[in-house]
This record gives sequence, structure tokens and C-alpha cells, in this order.
Amino acid sequence: MTYSNSIAVNRRPHVRRNQNSVAYTAAAKSLGPVSNSIILLALLCLIGLLYLTQVTKTNSYGYTINSLQEQQSVLRDQKTDLEISAARWQSLDRVSNSSVAKTMVPATPIGTLQ
Amino acid sequence: MTPNNKPGLSRPSSNLRVTVWYTLLCVIFALVLGRLFYLQIIKHEHYRQIALADQQREYSIPAQRGTIKAQDSGKTLPLVLNEKKYTLYADPVYIKDVGSTVKKLAAVTGQSAEDYQKSIEASSSRYVVLAKRLSEDQNKKILDMKLPGVGLSAVNYRAYPQDSLAAQLLGFVNEEGRGSYGIEQALNTTLAGQAGRLKATTDAEGVPLAASPDNVQIAPRDGQDVILTIELGMQKQLETVLKAGLDRVKSTSGSVVIIDPDSGQIKAMANYPTYNPAEFYKVEDQAVFNNAAVASPLEVGSVMKVLTVAAGLDLSVIKPDTAFYDPGHWKLDDHEVTNIEEVGGPGTRTITQVLDKSINTGAVWLLMQMGGQTGQVNKQARERWHSYMAEHFRFGQPTGVEQGYESSGTVPDPLEGYALELAYANTSFGQAMTATPLQMAAALSSVVNGGTYYQPQLVDSVILESGDIQKKSPQVLRQGTVANRVSKEVQAMMSYVVSTHNPRPPFSDKYIVGGKTGTAQIANPKGGYFENRYNGTYIGFVGGDRPQYVVVVRVNEPKIGKYAGSAAAQPIFWDLAHMLINNFNVQPKSQ
Repeated sequence: MTYSNSIAVNRRPHVRRNQNSVAYTAAAKSLGPVSNSIILLALLCLIGLLYLTQVTKTNSYGYTINSLQEQQSVLRDQKTDLEISAARWQSLDRVSNSSVAKTMVPATPIGTLQ
Repeated sequence: MTPNNKPGLSRPSSNLRVTVWYTLLCVIFALVLGRLFYLQIIKHEHYRQIALADQQREYSIPAQRGTIKAQDSGKTLPLVLNEKKYTLYADPVYIKDVGSTVKKLAAVTGQSAEDYQKSIEASSSRYVVLAKRLSEDQNKKILDMKLPGVGLSAVNYRAYPQDSLAAQLLGFVNEEGRGSYGIEQALNTTLAGQAGRLKATTDAEGVPLAASPDNVQIAPRDGQDVILTIELGMQKQLETVLKAGLDRVKSTSGSVVIIDPDSGQIKAMANYPTYNPAEFYKVEDQAVFNNAAVASPLEVGSVMKVLTVAAGLDLSVIKPDTAFYDPGHWKLDDHEVTNIEEVGGPGTRTITQVLDKSINTGAVWLLMQMGGQTGQVNKQARERWHSYMAEHFRFGQPTGVEQGYESSGTVPDPLEGYALELAYANTSFGQAMTATPLQMAAALSSVVNGGTYYQPQLVDSVILESGDIQKKSPQVLRQGTVANRVSKEVQAMMSYVVSTHNPRPPFSDKYIVGGKTGTAQIANPKGGYFENRYNGTYIGFVGGDRPQYVVVVRVNEPKIGKYAGSAAAQPIFWDLAHMLINNFNVQPKSQ
């Protein structure tokens, strides 16, 4: 028997064999200050890691946004170029100098006497 | 063993040392803490700003300038668009082999390698612009060469698909991005929009990091697109007719305005000579930038008689068939007012003849009637005529059309000045006062449309950010310019002038065509007028039951031996009248 057991036995002199008794367990086990500190640190690290993950992820969206904006800019430039080309193809000088226009016959004016 | 070393006995010197060290440590710790508190708490904002200055960059996000479109038979076609071009620059510090670099660049740009080399070697700057307005292809080719010390920056420029069409009316955007002349200047704020701003924490390559709470982004507000009242086809034909008409009479410059009298909408407006706004920087004579139809007033000559007659009719001092004795000359302020030889000497005339034969002395007689006296252009006559010129017909003030550098023109004061009788007599036939062709067009429009003065307008509508089209409604600046009956009488008289012309102009009776010529002496800046220098003008209208288009023609100093108005400006009007009737939906008379 260990020293502590012996003390425990001595502390229960009234307990006899086959006698009903209420056993009192010790209060709920609690962690000590060192364990608490370690767990707290681990949690802090976890939160920090989570924060870093999220920040990195968000920043990577920044690169995605940047890339998409560049694509958008290129597409917008292409659209503008196409609009200009279309407008130039429809320009009055080009139309009047086209091969189709050159083969046309002048129409007789209907509103005025010539 | 010393007593001090005995166990259980106190050791004062050791305790003191510990105390001293402990105190020292505490002090150092306190100092460190204090310093940290100072740096991190008190100076927090200061160091935060320094840190951010390294990490943060600020970019201006340029706004897209609004485009300009014109009417094309119910649709719209672009007149001005935007295109991205590139400026080629060099940093001499980083160029290893200048000779080889400039040769490679010149091969792409088509410019001189020697010039590039001179620019690079002569410059003390680290930013040497070698070429501007390079295309996207050229940009790519140069980038692919990966030349050290060579860079390209994108710049937005205006593109003109119709080349020089309506150049002075449009204006251009200068190198600083500001609208100059024409509509670009007048509507610069509307067209330019507002640049945005991005202030962001960036990585080493300048890419904004999305997670930074300090990022500030203000989106740019693009300029609004503008749709003009100009009819593209009409504008094109007008420019062709004007150029041909000026060539015929060896004139170097001229202007025409075609306006809708029932709304003030300008349908076409052209000047010659013109220029290509995409190459405005090549123009040597800046006068060519001016839209002379709104910016260059002139003494309009006898076309003014139409308005003098309209004022006289409106004041009821005359009627169209009023006959009067014309002495053939008037002596006012010791100067003589006479007529051209073709009018002949004294005789009995009618008001219609004043217009038909362009009788100066008849216009002066009419002016005298406004003062109730014959033989004098008295104060009452001057004040009444001034009221018509300045208030009814709005001369001497800008019309407010959407154009840069619009001129007011001049109207002499009726009460103060030198030789007032003579000056006012001269204004009755379009001398001693100045007006722009557009002012004349707006004034005549108000006379022939029944008496409503509409502000001339070039903007039909504006396309809002939402995509909605905001139509600009006609602006009435004055009602009752002249009475409705006067409007009809003036139409009839102007129509008579055209129909009795010899040879008779070939217009069908289904249409109403009216007009009046003007030949104005050119003022000598040293005083008086040049002997043999004239401008030709013509004001007229074309329509069916009512005038549908008002046209004003100006021909500067034609080199012909005849009267500038009838020989130079009138043929251009006739060509335009044919053009309008045949091609631009002039509705014939209903009966």
C-alpha cells in the first residue's frame, strides 16, 4: 500500500463490508496551467494559420482579378478596333469609291428640273 | 571561512548586487517597453504611413471619352471613336548598343534610325520619346524584340472613320486630352467623363493585393456618347458642292449652314478649306481649325435686306406692295449711300423690288419709315431697328450652339458712336454690322417658320451611363420674332426673287424655293472698305407647303468680275437646293 492509499483508508474508517455507501468522486478533472497555455498557444497558432490561409487565398483572388481585368481590357480593345474597322468600311468615301458604286448609273432627279 | 560565508547568515553585498541587477533589468525592460510603446502606439500612424508608402501604389484609371455619332437616314453612324495607340520611348541608361537598337526600332516604325540615335544621344533625360501613335502590331513587334531600355506606353487617341468629314464642326482632342475647337471643346466635360482612382497595396510587381483593407477603388465615369443632328449624307454632299462651288469662282474659303427652321437643328455645316482631325498636329495654319460658320463673323451684305423688310412689315410701316419714291441716293452724315449700277437712277419702287433688285436706298428708306420720317435715320428708327437686330434676331450675342469659340458678331449702338445715321443706314443692307452665317440662318429660320427663334443645336441626344437616350428638345429663345402674316409675306417675296431670276432657276413648281443674294464690301482694318474686295453671301430656303431647310452660303473673296453674291454664292445655293429636293425628303406642296 502506498502512502497515499493508507491515508485514504484512514480517512474512511466508517466504511464496512457490504454496507451501502455513496461514493464521492473527486471534482471534474481540470487541466493545469501549463496544459492550458499549450492549448491556448496551439489554438492561437491554428487561428493564425487559418488567417494566413485566408489572406493568401484572398490575395490569390487579387491575381485572378488582375488577370481577368487584363483579359477584359484586351477584349475591350479588340471590340473597339472592330468598331473602328466596321465604321471605316462604312465610310462614305470608301462606299463611293467602291467597285460597286463605280458601276452604278446616276439616277434622274425627280424633284427638280435639270 | 569568513563570517559572511557562513550558512544562514545574511550576505549584504550579494543581495545588493542582485537588487542592483534586478533594478537595472527592470529599468532596461521598462525602457524597452517605453520605446516600444512610443514606436507602436504613439508613432503608430507615422510608421504605418511609411510602411504603406512602400507597399501602396496609386493608379489613375482613365475614363473612356464619349463617342460622337451622326444621323444616317434614321440610323446613326460613328463620326468619332477612340483607339489605343502607343508611344515609343527609350531610357538611354539601359540601352547597351544604341546603333543596333535604333535600327531594329526604325525597321518597325518606318522612321529614321539616325533621328532616333540623335535623339537618344542628345538627350540628358532618361525618358526620350522616339515615336508616337504606333499601332497594336508595331507595339507587339517591338515588345517581342525585348530591347533593354526601350518601352511603350498606351495612349488613347480619337479615330475618325469618315476622315475629314465635318472636321471643323467636330474639333479634335489635343495631346493633353482636352477637346479643342468644335463640339469636342464645347462638350468637353460631357465627353471626357471623370477618371477613376485605385490606391492599393501591391506586390513587388505592382499587382494589387485584394486582401488589403487600405485599398481604395473609385471607378471611372466614362464620358457620355453624343448623337449629333448632322445628316451624314447631306454633310458629305454639302462639302462636295461647297468645294466645287468655290473652285468655280476661284475662292479660297467659304462656309455653308443648312438648318431645320422648325427646330433649330443643324443638318449640315461645312467650311472650306478643311483638315483631317486625326492629323491636326500636321496643320500649319491654325485658322483652319475654326468653324468659320460660327466663329468668323462678317458684314453679311444685302441678305440683311430680308430682315430689314421683315422688321418693317412687322412694325406695319410698310406692306409688300407699298410703292415709294426712291431718290437713288441718300446723303447721311456727309456720306452718300447709293445703289449698284443695274438698279438705275431715281424712280418709284415697291418693297418686293427692294429685295428683287437689291436696292440699298430702298432699304434705307424703309429704315427711315421706322422713325416715321423720310430723309433721316432718326433716333426712333435706330432704336426700333436695333431692337429687331439685337432682340428679335439676336445679333450681337452668341447663339449658344455647341461649338467652341462661337463669335457674337457686332451691332452698333443706336445712341452712341460716330456717324450714327450713316452706320445705321448701312446696317439696313448688311454693312457696319457683323454676323456669323449661323446667326443669319437662325434669324431667317425664325422669320420663315412663323416667328419662333429656336436656338441652333447640333446635339440631338446624349446616351446616358444607363444606356438610356436623353433626347435634347428644341430650345425656344424667343416667340414672336415677327408676326405669322409677316412670315408668309417674306416667304412669298423671297420666292418671287428666285422665280424672277434671269435665267429662271430650274426648280419644279411643286416646291417653294426662296432666296436673296448679298455682296458685301470687306472692311479695311485701317478704316473704310477695300475698293475691290468682296464677300458673297446667300440666304434662302427650300420646302413644300412650308420651308423645310434654311440655307446660308458664304463665299470669301471670289476672283470673278461679277457680283460675289449672285455669281459665287447663289450657284452654290441652287446646287444645294437641288440636292435637298432630290435626296433629302423635301415634301412637295400638297396642292
